Formats: sequence, C-alpha cells, structure tokens
Amino acid sequence: MTTTMAIKVTVNGETRVADVEPRTLLVHWLREDLALTGTHIGCDTSQCGACVVHVDGRAVKSCTMFAAQADGCAVTTIEGLGAADALHAVQDGFWEEHGLQCGFCTPGMIMTAAELLARNPDPSEAEIRHALEGNLCRCTGYHNIVRAIQHAAKGATA
Amino acid sequence: MQIDGEDLLDAPIDCVWQALNDPAVLARCVPGVTALVPTGPDAYDAEIKLAIGPLKGTFKGTVRITEQVPPEAMTLTVDGAAPMGGVNAAGRLALETQGTGTLVRWQAEPKLRGTLATVGARLIGPVSKQQTTAFLKAIEAEARQLASSRR
Amino acid sequence: MTTTTKMIGQAIKRREDPKLITGQGQFLDDVKLTGMLHAVVVRSPYAHATIKGIDASKALALPGVVAVFTGEDMSDINPLPCAWAAGKVDNNLNTPRALAVGKAMHVGDGVALVVAEDRYIARDAADLVEVDYEPLAVVVDAKKATEPGAPQLHENAPSNIVMDWECGDREKTDAAIAAAEVTVREQIVNQRLIPTPMETRGSVARYEPATGEFTVWMTSQAPHVMRLLLAAFVFGIPETSVRCISPNIGGGFGQKIFVYADMAFTMWAARKLGRPVKFVEDRAENYQSSTHGRDHITDVEIAGTRDGRITGLRIDTLANLGGYLSTIAPGIPTTLYGRITTGVYKIPAAHCRVRGVYTNTAMVDAYRGAGRPEASYLIERMVDRFAAEIGMDPAEVRRRNFIPPEDFPYSNGMGLLPYDSGNYGPALDRALQIVGYDALRAEQAEARKQGRYLGIGLSSYVEICGVAPSAWIGLPGEGWGAGLWESANVRVHLTGKVVVTTGSLPHGQGLETTFAQIVADELGVPYDDVVVEWGDTSGTPFGFGTYGSRSLAVGGTAIVKTVAKVREKAKLLAAHMLEARVEDIVWEDGKAFVKGSPDQVKTLGDIALQAAVAYSLPEGMEPSLDETTYYDPPNCTFPFGTHVAVVDIDADTGAVSLRRYVAVDDVGTVINPLIVDGQLHGGIAQGVAQALTEGAIYDDDGQLVTGSLLEYAVPKASLFPQFETDRTVTRSPVNPLGVKGAGEAGTIASAQAVMNAVIDALQPFGVKHLQMPATSERVWNAMHGGTRGARS
Repeated sequence: MTTTMAIKVTVNGETRVADVEPRTLLVHWLREDLALTGTHIGCDTSQCGACVVHVDGRAVKSCTMFAAQADGCAVTTIEGLGAADALHAVQDGFWEEHGLQCGFCTPGMIMTAAELLARNPDPSEAEIRHALEGNLCRCTGYHNIVRAIQHAAKGATA
Repeated sequence: MQIDGEDLLDAPIDCVWQALNDPAVLARCVPGVTALVPTGPDAYDAEIKLAIGPLKGTFKGTVRITEQVPPEAMTLTVDGAAPMGGVNAAGRLALETQGTGTLVRWQAEPKLRGTLATVGARLIGPVSKQQTTAFLKAIEAEARQLASSRR
Repeated sequence: MTTTTKMIGQAIKRREDPKLITGQGQFLDDVKLTGMLHAVVVRSPYAHATIKGIDASKALALPGVVAVFTGEDMSDINPLPCAWAAGKVDNNLNTPRALAVGKAMHVGDGVALVVAEDRYIARDAADLVEVDYEPLAVVVDAKKATEPGAPQLHENAPSNIVMDWECGDREKTDAAIAAAEVTVREQIVNQRLIPTPMETRGSVARYEPATGEFTVWMTSQAPHVMRLLLAAFVFGIPETSVRCISPNIGGGFGQKIFVYADMAFTMWAARKLGRPVKFVEDRAENYQSSTHGRDHITDVEIAGTRDGRITGLRIDTLANLGGYLSTIAPGIPTTLYGRITTGVYKIPAAHCRVRGVYTNTAMVDAYRGAGRPEASYLIERMVDRFAAEIGMDPAEVRRRNFIPPEDFPYSNGMGLLPYDSGNYGPALDRALQIVGYDALRAEQAEARKQGRYLGIGLSSYVEICGVAPSAWIGLPGEGWGAGLWESANVRVHLTGKVVVTTGSLPHGQGLETTFAQIVADELGVPYDDVVVEWGDTSGTPFGFGTYGSRSLAVGGTAIVKTVAKVREKAKLLAAHMLEARVEDIVWEDGKAFVKGSPDQVKTLGDIALQAAVAYSLPEGMEPSLDETTYYDPPNCTFPFGTHVAVVDIDADTGAVSLRRYVAVDDVGTVINPLIVDGQLHGGIAQGVAQALTEGAIYDDDGQLVTGSLLEYAVPKASLFPQFETDRTVTRSPVNPLGVKGAGEAGTIASAQAVMNAVIDALQPFGVKHLQMPATSERVWNAMHGGTRGARS
C-alpha cells in the first residue's frame, strides 16, 4: 500500500494530523500511532466492545471504523474521559462497585456506559443490560457492572 | 450443509448438456472465473474470484466433471483454496426435458475450511444458491445461442 | 493507642482499579520495543494433513517482510513439554512444536511464521505463503476416535488412547450396583468450551546477543513455570538466561497457564533475527489454537435404595484431549476430576475410569474449575436423576446423603487427600430459605396446571482448592512429580514501608488488595504502607502462579508465614533496642513495646531503620528486615455450598430464561467480601453460560464451526438476573487464615443448578436428561418428543 490519506482528528481535545493508509483501522491508529493503548482489541468480528470510543459523542467500536472515516471528527478515548484524580462518574462507579476484575473490557464498558448515561441519565436495570449488548465481559457476570452504572447514574441525578 | 434447488432453463436439453461440457462456455459461465485451463479430460485448473459475506478472495483450484450420464446427469466438483480458507463443493446436476426447456435439479454439499468455515458457514447456503442460479442463467443463455445457431 | 480496624473481612475497593479504569493498564499488546518486528502465523485450514511443501517466495518478495520460517527451521528447539503426565501417560506424550513439522493435527495448527516490519504487512504476507497439503482422514469425536477403523493420529497411541486411568474400588462398586434396589444409568456429555478471556494470548520476545539472555513478555498466569519449561525443556539453556514478565493479564480462566508455541517461536525468531518479535493472537486464532476445556462423554450409573440412600456410583469417561497434549492436560480429567466425582455425598462404593483421547481438535486443558465442574455436574445430575426415579424431593435426597459434619476430615475413597472441613446441611438450608423453596414448588405445581413451565434446580457442590500439596500431586504418576508450593518475600524498607513479592500471578482476582489487607493485619501496619509486587521472574521468588483457586490458600499462607518471620525478627531487634528480654516484648499495631511499659516503644519503622543501618545489632543477627518463605501446604482446601437456579421455559419457543440465581457458598474465612462476591458472580456466569449458550462445535471435517464470537455464544448482560449471594463460614484447618478459595467455586456449582432447573421444568414432558447447552431448539425438541439432547 503506497497511498495514504491526510486526516485531521480531534482526539481527547487535541488536534492530531496524520497520513494514514486508507485501510488503517481507527483502533490501530489510536493504539499504534497515538499510543493511546487504553482502547483494547478483544476480537476480530466487532463483537466484544473492548475498543469502544466516542466519535462526536457517539459510542463507536473503533475496530469497525477506518481512521480515515474519523477525519474531521472529535474522538474521545478512555484516557480522555477522566483522570485518576478527576474520575468520570462512570469510572468512579466501576471502582466503587467492583465493576471490573481483569480490566480488559473495562475501557469499552465505561465508554459505552458513559454514552448511555449521557442519553438516559436514569436507566432501568433492563435498559442498562440492553445497552451493554455490544460489550462482553468474561470476569464479572455483569452483576457489578450493572451496579457500577446504577451507582454512576445515582451520583449524576442526585 | 446440504443445499438444493431447481431452475427451469429455456433451452433444449442437448444444448444445455453441450454447454455444460464446453470449457470455453464454463469459463464464461462460472461466476467469477478468471482462468480455466483444461488439464485432462473433464478436468480444469481454475481461478475464481468470490465473495462470501465480508470475505473476498481469489480461489485457486480445480474443476472436475465426473459421473456423466449424457445428457441427464453429471457431477461438477469445485475445489479451491484462498488465503482465508478453502471450499470444496460437489454439485450433482440432473437434467430433464420439460416442454421445450430443460429442468435442472441440483444438489450440493459445500464444505468450507479455515477462516471461511468459521465466518462464512452461515453465509455459504445463500451464496451457493445465488452462484448456482447465476451459473445456470448463464448456461441457459449459451444453450439458447447454441440452439439458435443450429437452426 | 487502640487497635486499628482489622482489614481482614473489609469490603474495601481494589487498589488495582485506578490504573485500569483510566486506560493506564499495561497489557501484552501495549508492549512496544525499539526495532520490534511483528509475527503472523500461517495456520492449517485442514484438521489433519501432511504438509508436503511450503513456498514462501511471494511472501518474502513483499516489501517489509523480514523472514518466513517453517517448523523445520526451528528443529534446533524441542517440542513443548507436557508437565503433568498424570494418569501414567508414559510413552505417548505427543506435544506440539513451535511450528508443525510434517503434519498438521488440527485446524489452526501453526505451519509457518511470517515476520515483518508491521502487523499489516505480516498479515498480507501470510496470505502469500503457499502451503501444499495432502488432507488425511479426520476424527473429532472422542468416542469415534477409539473405535476400530478410526484414523490413527499418533503412531505411539493405538486407538488414539492417551491414558487409561482409574480410581476407587471397581469390585466393590460392581457388587453394590448389582445388589441395588434402584439403579439409574445415563450418558452425560460435558461439552467442549472455549475459555475466551477477553484479552487473547501473545508473546513479545527480546534477545541480547551480548549476554545470550532472553526477556519474554507473555500473557501467562505462571511466568516462573514458563521460564522453567522454556529454558530447561524447549531451548535447553539455563533458567538464568530467560526472564519472563507477565504484564496486566486480561483474564485467563486457565487458558493462560500453559506453555504455548508462540512463546517458543518469538524467542527463536528474536534470537535468529537479532530484533524483538511480537506476536498477538487474533480472536479466530485464540479459538482455533489456544486450549479449550471440558469435552467429556461419560457413561454413568448410580445405585441406591428406595428410601434415598446412594449406595454406588460407576463412571466411565472419555476425555477428549485434542491433537496434542497441552501442558497439564492429562491431570485435569484424572486427578482433578475422577477423585472428586463422589461430591458432597458419603457413597460407600464408587469407581471412576477415564480414558484420555487424541482427536483432530485444539488441545483441551484446564478451564475454570478444571475437572471439578465436570465431576460436580455429573454427580449432581445423577443425584437428581436418582431422586426423580424414587420420587423423592431432590433437596431431601441430598440431605440424606451428605457427608455428616462429624466425619471430617473425610476420605472419599477415591485417592484424594481428606476433605478438610465441611458442614453441608446449613448451606443447603440457607439457599432453600433464600429462594423460598416451598413456595416455589407450590407455584410450580400451579403453573403446570396452566401450561407454564417453571423449574427449580439444586446444586450442592464441593471442590478442591489450593492445588499444591506435594503429598498429593508430588506422587509419581499423579501429578508433576513435584509439589506446587508457593513463595513470598516480605521486606520492610527503612522508611517502614512494606514490600511483598509473591509467586502468585493476579489477573483480575484482586490479590494486590487482598494480600495487602492480610499483611496490614498480620504486621499491624497501615494498609497503604503495603505494596504488593508480582509478575516478573527477575524480582520475585519462584512461584507456581495463579490457577486452581490456590493463590489465597497457598500464596496467601506463604505471606502470613513470612510476615510471622519478619515480626519475630523485629521483636528480637526491638528487645535489643529497648534493652528488654524478647519474652517481655509485646507486638501490637506495628509497634513493639515492653510489657507493662507502653511508653517504651519502637515502631516498625524504627526497627527497620536499625536493621538497615545495621549498627549495633544483636550478636549474630543479619541486617535488614527481609524474609522469604516457600510454602508447601499439607492438604488442599475444600469449599462447598448449595446453589439454586429458577428458570422459566417459554412453552412456544423452548427458550429458557433464568429468573433467579441463589448461591450460598462456604469459602472459609473471607478476606474481602467485595472481591469474593465478584469471583463468585463471574464463576456463576461461566457455568450458566455452559448450561444455556456455549459449546464449541467441530464439524466432521474438523472445521471449528464456532470459530468466532459470532458463533460461539459468550453470554451478554441480558442473559443474567442479579445474583443473590450469601455464605456460611467453615474455617479450613489447613492454613492459619482458615481460607479455602473462591476463584472457581461459582463455575463448579452453577451449570448443574441451571440444567437441573431446566430438566425439572420439563418433567411434565417426561424428560429425564438433556445435554448442554439447553438452547431453545434443544428444549423445544425435548418438549415435543424429539431426539433427546443430541450431541450438537
């Protein structure tokens, strides 16, 4: 592949300019070129959701999108959601309620949950479980993930 | 997985049979064929471009025609390999005159291997049906041409 | 000063988390080294084939491709070892090589390795490698593989038999069954599962030509064991030449215990090319070529009396082990399965025969629970079958046959060390109480009249934790021929901060938090002053890693013993500093003082400083507060409990929905209830998934039909209700903490709770057994008199 495409993407608030191969997946660009390795890859068929990021505010599996398609967009990754000393409510919920074990699915889970709460600040348990249909976790049985999101929702609506 | 179907071709049975046994015709009619080189009686080396769902590739392999019962039946076996896996499909064709046309009943058991087997398994049925119908449509056109040139 | 709050027993949130929730975890694929190359494997699309030739010329012509290697190129290293040849496997240990040589034994078997400047190029180049295969006859089913005329996979394994193993008393069991009032026979399949940690596996290897040293980052639950196996067995070099590092591990569930081809080929290629080499599986590769779990076909017979006493149990299992033997594969269906098949029951006569079988499938080895879920599923299904046969409530049959509390320590006659402690009745009673058993039975009867199908399923289980004692698995022919002891080092820095290094390898279990809680209490120091380190063979004492629910009972105990040594030395030094006799020194809250004079005090920091500067130490005392323990426990621990599942079955579609799930577990002393509950939730989910959705399927040609997450049904959030957990606490007498273990209990208990509930719901249809998973198709067929639980 010799041709590349020039893209300009706002990533976690910073403007990033790059020449990418047209076939470069957004997730690979974020991880390999920008060293934002908090976004994970857990499958090759867009099932697991470990790679979820926000593109213009929408939760997107970054393995289903080419970096070139993000040209002109604003991308937020787990690194841009909140910092250790200024956690996003969902991050805090996951910590408080033991919503993670190995932590591999966690960034994608948190990004999906953050988008859910942005759309629906007070979701029912069924709505939370439905929103997580595109994210797989093998450690928690989802029990504490649901509680973590409820915790975050409670904090946000309190 | 067993798949089957039937298509009514608007051409006489002997013309259909002749078309099916002509490498040049086959090369034109098997969807995606980019090369078909005879290697022996009723055997060919083939190169076929094929898409099964998200998987696209150039399959290299062989086409063989066996168990011929002119002009009623034949088995067409395609075996091809591509980077994402391989396919082996033995299709049994049964021809029968119906009015002025020919009814082709077909039956096949495509077997996949490699990535194709895991990702393409649930797509292979519809794809095979579509490909077979496209193939028979093309054969029909060839057979009709044969029929008209005979007149 | 008053005693600080005890940390043990506190549900404190994990110290592991801040990093992981902010995307700062360091997983294998996050490792980047200067000059690093990327490797992609060319894999066999055939389940069984002769490799006639490999043409890499087109791949090599692609710009950016550095090399293409074959199995022959790597003939200077040995095949991967099988370290646990339990069941007396002696002459047919067929294990994989770094890349296949001559023959491919299953779909996904590695045939060639492409190394390139980036992973896209490597992937492109792999597609250009042309391999000429001659397909061979294939067998994927363990039963068919043992039948006459089956393809023979390995010359040294006639009828594809790996081992023919037994435990218990055959004659006594045959006699008990022959004489029984009631016997029930069943064929029970424990289907093949794919562990599916969310992070796939991989390795990054670096070689230093100047020193001949390797550094290997790996997704391993047991880096010390990997170092030993790779150095001593595969490469034939000293262990000191290999450093293994496990970074954050994205789940393991057993699949990441073993030595794998990629560890060997990245090391080999890094040495050959003089540049670091990275390999990370994609999910399809993980499914095709990393290990699977379970896959038993068992003929079982249970015997008893009309009044509900179980008198005999006879088991004959075929365990599918795949095309090669994985690292501890033979140990799973023997030592960890056969020996615990009598479960929580006092059964006077039992016998279990297990044959391991080679087939053209991915290797089968430990998957969460490893042998114990298979055992537990078997006995719990058969107890329900027996209860149905004699028309007795399944809870009552369980109660009548439980090992009574006064019988502990209890030997089950199957060649296991004695069950340490147990009191099974209260856990059952508590579970029934929480779920409202009697009310549910009444609802069930009412529902049946209305054509609704509600099922209640029980599972009373016991399992083996702390897989370690040399007294057990050190026996030749039983285990490694060595104990799986665990290590700990505790050192107190001169600022009073405590660093604990462990041979355990947490990958989600929260050991960093749990271990710190233990040390805080045992040493009397603030929790935040304790740092726990692990994962790097250079910097931690040798340890056997984390699996088999052993880290707390074995690794935790090693820490407790080490802290005791540190405390004793600190007291000796304090006595010297306070000019008192050591007998008069009291240790409290991280301080030493003279009995009766609490103002004459030295803090751990004071003592550590004195020990570090080493000026004026007592005669003969070594400097530094730094102690190490290698702990070989006398016995395993045996957690137990009762789980209850309540399901509703849709009469029109056969769809099963899990209405409630109650778990009452006894895991001994609980250090951190938040973490223990989390372990149980996850464990339960994996067992429920086996019962309802998961199953690896190979077609007759050996193609893995469930080769991706599209087809292999890892459950989503919507499958589960919120779990209702509770516990009883029966201390283990085996270790000072009284802990048992919780990592696998949920999985060991849950599949049969759900299946018993499904089959209970289907009782009006005359269904006596159904194979897993209970998909709606299978359930619907059972309701309509179709084939009863066909294998797939």
